[in-house]
This record gives sequence, C-alpha cells and structure tokens, in this order.
Amino acid sequence: MHQTLLTLAIIGYVAATGLALTYLVQRDELLHRLASLATLAAWVLHTGALIARAIELGRPPLASLPEAVSVAVWVVVLLEMWLERRYGLQVLGAFVLPVALAFSLQSTPMRPLIEPALSGAWVWVHIGLALVGIAAFVFNFAGALMYLLQERQLRAKRPGALYYTLPALATLDRLTYRTLALGFPFLTTGLLLGVIWAGAAWGSVFTFDPLALSSYVAWAVYAATLAGRAAGGWHGRRAAYFAIVGFVALVLTLGAGLLFPGKHAG
Amino acid sequence: MALFVAGLSHRNAPVELREQLAVDEDKLRELLRDVAATGVVREALILSTCNRVEVYAIADVPGEARTATFRQLCRHRGVEPASVETVLYTHADGEAVRHTFRVASSLDSMMIGEPQILGQVKDAFALAQSCETVGPALHTLFTQAFTVAKKVRTETEIARHAVSVSFAAVELAKKIFAGLDGKAVLLVGAGKMSELAARHLIEQGAFPLYVANRTWARAQELARALAGTAVPFDELATALATVDIVITSTGAPEPVIRREFVQPLVHSRRGRPLFFIDIAVPRDVEDSVNTLDGVYCYDIDDLKQVVDANIRERLREAHRAEALVEREVAKFLARLGDVEVIPTIVSLRERLEIIRSGEVKRTLARLPGATPETREAIEALSAAIVNKILHAPITKLRESSRAGSPRSWLELVHELFGLGRK
Repeated sequence: MHQTLLTLAIIGYVAATGLALTYLVQRDELLHRLASLATLAAWVLHTGALIARAIELGRPPLASLPEAVSVAVWVVVLLEMWLERRYGLQVLGAFVLPVALAFSLQSTPMRPLIEPALSGAWVWVHIGLALVGIAAFVFNFAGALMYLLQERQLRAKRPGALYYTLPALATLDRLTYRTLALGFPFLTTGLLLGVIWAGAAWGSVFTFDPLALSSYVAWAVYAATLAGRAAGGWHGRRAAYFAIVGFVALVLTLGAGLLFPGKHAG
Repeated sequence: MALFVAGLSHRNAPVELREQLAVDEDKLRELLRDVAATGVVREALILSTCNRVEVYAIADVPGEARTATFRQLCRHRGVEPASVETVLYTHADGEAVRHTFRVASSLDSMMIGEPQILGQVKDAFALAQSCETVGPALHTLFTQAFTVAKKVRTETEIARHAVSVSFAAVELAKKIFAGLDGKAVLLVGAGKMSELAARHLIEQGAFPLYVANRTWARAQELARALAGTAVPFDELATALATVDIVITSTGAPEPVIRREFVQPLVHSRRGRPLFFIDIAVPRDVEDSVNTLDGVYCYDIDDLKQVVDANIRERLREAHRAEALVEREVAKFLARLGDVEVIPTIVSLRERLEIIRSGEVKRTLARLPGATPETREAIEALSAAIVNKILHAPITKLRESSRAGSPRSWLELVHELFGLGRK
C-alpha cells in the first residue's frame, strides 16, 4: 500500500517537474496549471503514502533517514505550493520540484526496517528541527539559483524567456536571505541536539559518521554566509554563490547518510 | 438580415486617405443619422480612429448597404467614392464577428496590445447608442467584444511589456529593485526623454529626486518641475552614493560617470544595487561600470534591444490571443445561432407532443383491456416515432443557424408544421 502510493507520488512529481520546467521556457499558462495540478495530485498521494507508512509502523515515519527525507520532501512541496500562490511566483516550481524529486528518488529504496538505533524524545526533536532547516535551505538554494540566472539576464542585456518569468533581483535576494535566516537556527539546534545526543549514545561526538561530518561542513558554509550577510554587507551574487555551495554540502550530507554505512543509515 | 463590417485601416489604406475619411464626434452623429435615414441598414455603428474607419452594420442586403453607407461617408468628407471603393474590405457574418473581437482586443492594431483601441470602440458604441442606431444584434455583438477584449488582456500578456524606451527603463528598474517605492533618482543632464523616464519612475513611487546639470539655473528649473532637489554638478559623486537610479543625458563628449567614481561606492552601498539609465549619445557612463558588482548600466541601444524583445514577446502572445479569440467567435456564433432557432425547436416539440399524447389517449380509450405493459409499449412507440421524425429538422435548423442563414429554414419549418406566425 505505502510503496504503491509512494511510487505513484513519485510518478506525479516527475510529471510535475517536467511540466514546470517546460513552463519556464514556453511560458504557457496552461502548462503552469497542469504543473500545479500534477504537483497537488502527487502531494496528496505522498500524504497517503506517509499515513499508510505511519499506520504500518505504528509511529511517525521519521526514525530512519530515508523516512525523514521523504517527510522533508513532503514539507518542501507543501511550502512550494503555498509560496507560489502567496507570492505569485509561478516559476518557483521549476526550481524547487527538481530538487524535491531528486530527494524523493533517494528516499524510495526504503530498506527493510531495522529497528532504529535512535530512540527518545530528543531524537524526534533532532530530526524535526533538521527537517525544517533542510526545507528552508531547499528554498534558499532555489532563490539563489533564480537570482544568478536573472542577474545574468540583466547583465547580458538580452532579455530571454527567463527575464520575463523570473522575479526581480531584490525579491530573490530577500528570499535567499530570509530562508537562510530561518533555516540556520533550525539547522544549528538540530545539529547541536544531534551532537549532544551522539555524545551520550555513541560515547563520542566525533565517531565516524559520514552524515554528521558533512553536516558540520554545510553548517560552516551557512554560518559564514549568514555572518557575511549580517556583518559584512554581503549580498546578491556572492551570497547566492555561497547559498549554492552550502546546499551542495547539505545534499552531500544527506547523500552520505543515505548511501554510506554509518550510524544514520537504515 | 446579416451582419457586416466594411472599412479601411492601416493595413490596406495609406494615412492620407485615412485622415481624409476620419470623422470627429459631431460629424459622426450626423453621419449615423443620415445612414440610418437611408433605410438600407437596420443597425449601424461607425468606428473612426486615426488607424481605421469602419462601419459595423446589420442590413437585409449587405452589399447595397455598404455602398450606400460609404457613399454617405465620402459625401460628408468630400472624398471621391471611387478612391475609397478600391481599398474597402468587407467581412460578413462569422468573419465580421471575428473582426470585431480582434479589433476590440487590439489584435488588429498597428502596435499589438495598445490599450487605446478598446476605449475608442467603447466610445463609438456609446455614440451609436445615443443616436439609437444600435439594436439587439449590435448590442449583443459589442458587449461580447468588450468581454473578449478584457479576457485577452488578462489571460495573455499582449499588453504587458513596455514598447517605449522610457517605459522599458522603468520595467528594468522593477526587475532590479522589485518595487520602486522610496528609490532615490538622480537626473544628470536635462532632456525630454530623461525627464519622461523620471516622471514614469516617480509615478511608480520613486522618491526623492535629485537633478544635476552643468547649468545651475536649468537644474533648478527641472527640479521645480519634477518636485525634486537641484544638486551642484561637481557634487555628483556625493549624490551617487545615496541614490538608486541614475538617468544621464548630458551633451558631454566624454563620459561624466567614470568607473573610478562608482567603484568606491560598491562597498559602501552594502549590496544596494545601482542602476544607470544612460540615454545620452555619446554615452555618459563608462562601459566598464556595468561590470561592477551590483551595478547595472543600460545605454540607449540596450534599452532599444529590450523594447525589441518586448515587441517579440507581444507578437508571441498575440498567437495565444488569436486562438482565444477564435474560441470565443465559435462560442458566440453557436450561442447566437441557437438563440435564434431554440424557440422554434421548442414549439416544434410542443406541437408534436400535443398530437402524440392526444392520439395515444384516444387509442388507449378504445383498448380498455390493455395491460400496463401494452400501454407502456404504445407510449414508447409513439414517442420514438416523434423523436425520429423530429431529428432531421432539428439538426437542420441548428446547422443552418451555425452557418448563419437560419431564416429561410425557420420559415419553412413554421409553414410545414403549422406553428403559426413566428
């Protein structure tokens, strides 16, 4: 049940991503409407899949990393639909959905459930906070990417399709700054809890765990960007480049957790 | 009785002829009354703008009506009718509906998507109404045309992007700053086009405005006109540090804004973008300024390039608008046709139902021993026969109405089935 729904949801996300990307180039209102519909349908299926999973497990589907990533995708898509409507950002889907799709493809091969090594309320808080952080950084990344593309258009002085569809530079810069400012505290607290918990459960903060290690890198990049923005007057292009580097580190973090053996896998 | 549009426009008639034929409002009233007085048209509306002179009318004999109307028009304007006859185009029925929708939606305009035409059509409609030459047919047609025009405007982007240099500059500023509220503007040099661009920016909320000019008196004069502040020309660098948008249009042979002025500002502006609109030829802003972080510089050629792209964008959208109009025309014709034939179809059905139920009643009265099954079968049989007989005439009526000529068919059906006067 859960697997079928999830597969259908992913097919829906593939369709939505394709439509959203085509809309970006073709700018046909119909494509955008179809993309929105596909997104909504896939998200509903995804909701069903998560509920089915939760009933199957008798607990929230958050204890293993693939599960948490799947929930993160669910949150991201929900936010995407909301922000798109709220701010009239019709192109947002084209930048967020591919990322969401990549994540959800990562999270499909649900391994046979190993009784999670983690337990206790701390763990739920750790996962929940990290999850909100990740969701915020997906939008941070999308905003940065849109900023760089629009900046290029404006500098090249040859308005192309993207010039018309992408929002103003100031809007995009604000989006990346806000998502950074929102995501960072969550990521930080999530990480701190993880560190404290790891110290208690694994005996050492620095046990080799690929996810933990690369998440420190991502955190450092984001910390630097935030500091640069707040104190050094960073903005625009530089801030956008950093947002992208930070996101790559974050993706590597999740990739490491999903693909390499470590204490987060399973 | 048929709808037709006849006229000439920028597409086929030279401006000399168009301006000769163009009619002002008072003359238009007179003309409409004269045309109505000839009795060849049942309804008429005349649209006269600098790009087109057209008659929209309902007449029994469209060809005759067209000739008579334009003869009147030529007489009023003192133009030789022969010179007009050769360029006149005529659209009838469905074509005329399409033309009306396209004109109102600004798809037939010289600059596609220009907003004036809809207002002009509305004025022409109001004028014809006040002259009482608008009847139910033109009323339906034009109210629908206004709806379609609005739909085209909101559902496509034919009118969205600027097609003038000064508006293109404003649009670019919005792509950089999002809103222009509270963005400070500096005008360097004074010129008509830069003043226009400044006005557009102010309308969008840009404030405050500074004016710098080599001639102090001219700076003060322009500052007064635009409710801004004059700044001395040699304090340009200071002013640059505080503003967001700079419009330059001096007659200086060398650039007045050099990279070395702007470079130190980049850091102190802490990420606030700086947008130069350089309308001067030769240019006022050094080329390399555009490469500075957060600094954007558009010269007149760049702006023209943006305008060209915007025009291409409008033409692209025009394809979508045409498709939309096409759908609306089909819908309108179908509805119009059905409206015309539906009363006849209804009375035809009623007529036959009276005959059928009467005969069934009489037959059943003579069959007292009939089982409920038999009664039901007789009902069903009679209903089926009536439906089969009605199928062909009803289809034919609908078809003829969609083809635009239901009149003779309507009469025939009334006559054949004895439906009484329509």
